[in-house]
Amino acid sequence: MLKAGLSLLRSSQVACFRQFPLSRTATSRGLHDFQQVAPKDCVSVVPYREASNETTTTTRKPYSPFRVEDPRNNMVDYVFARIDDLVNWGHKSSMWPLTFGLACCAIEMMHFAAPRYDMDRFGVVFRGSPRQADVMIVAGTLTNKMTPAFRKVYDQMPDPRWVISMGSCANGGGYYYHSYSVVRGCNRVVPVDIYVPGCPPTAEALLYSVLQLLRKVKQDKSNQIWYRKL
Amino acid sequence: MSVYLEKLRHFRLAIKQHGGIIGAYLNFYRTDELKWGDLIGEDKFGNKYFQNRHYFIGRSRWVQYSDAVGMDYDGSQIPPEWHRWLHYIGDEPPTTAPPVKRSWMVDHKPNLTGTPEQYVPYSTVKPKITAWEPPKA
Repeated sequence: MLKAGLSLLRSSQVACFRQFPLSRTATSRGLHDFQQVAPKDCVSVVPYREASNETTTTTRKPYSPFRVEDPRNNMVDYVFARIDDLVNWGHKSSMWPLTFGLACCAIEMMHFAAPRYDMDRFGVVFRGSPRQADVMIVAGTLTNKMTPAFRKVYDQMPDPRWVISMGSCANGGGYYYHSYSVVRGCNRVVPVDIYVPGCPPTAEALLYSVLQLLRKVKQDKSNQIWYRKL
Repeated sequence: MSVYLEKLRHFRLAIKQHGGIIGAYLNFYRTDELKWGDLIGEDKFGNKYFQNRHYFIGRSRWVQYSDAVGMDYDGSQIPPEWHRWLHYIGDEPPTTAPPVKRSWMVDHKPNLTGTPEQYVPYSTVKPKITAWEPPKA
């Protein structure tokens, strides 16, 4: 009876997920063996692209996020847009974080620095001093006792500065929300740019958050705003 | 010695696939990698998916993002049916095992953070705390 029920369940699962090769999991064949998965005549199949046309040339998105209409008549605008591009490129190419590891999230932050995720390939290098740092990664539970030091360290960072809030505790208290001694989110003390969810977030999530921060830095137009306000 | 000859061969094949020295350089500038492999398929956003089992397991499948996104490529631009192939969840690419199209499925959207269409959370209840207003000096 039980066996019949199990087999029924199994067959219904197979019916539900027919597109997945379930039989493959039963064999001991690993992913390592060199087996041609797609047949040769499937190699150039373009199944999902509606308007597939060999002759279409997609225009590549330009590097700069700033568009200046008619640059010949708006030369100053154009120059300031390029200045912003250059400054942002410099910022995002060497984003040095300050390690503010407070709890277990710091372990994942260390993994982010280790060779597998290798933050150095994005120009992200940990600094020990807030005076040399661009971004502070708040990794862990921010307690009431830590808060004055936290704010002081943030104030010591030179402008422009960014903050990544990593993990549930730093985002909003998280597990310790009802504790008497925990700040419910580090954004009550400093302005936060990127929130990374997770408890703790994986090193991959932190990597993605850093990439999002680089995307944000690339769109920064403080020089253009400064010129507009003159 | 043959190991080095093999590396040279792969280097030559990679350059050949990208259309010469200049094309290979431009591709390397964009993706920080120079590989060659079989084109497995292309999704509707224009991302191309490659495979070469010669490379190590985590690197044997990769994506060449669409030219339309330029340097702003992002992992969230990969639709789910290709994501499962790219992350070795299954060996069948959606070219050979197309996913079942269900009525509740919506089109894939990339991460819109930092664009005008981004999601901004909002609260519908009265705030429980008020911000401290520093005294005017």
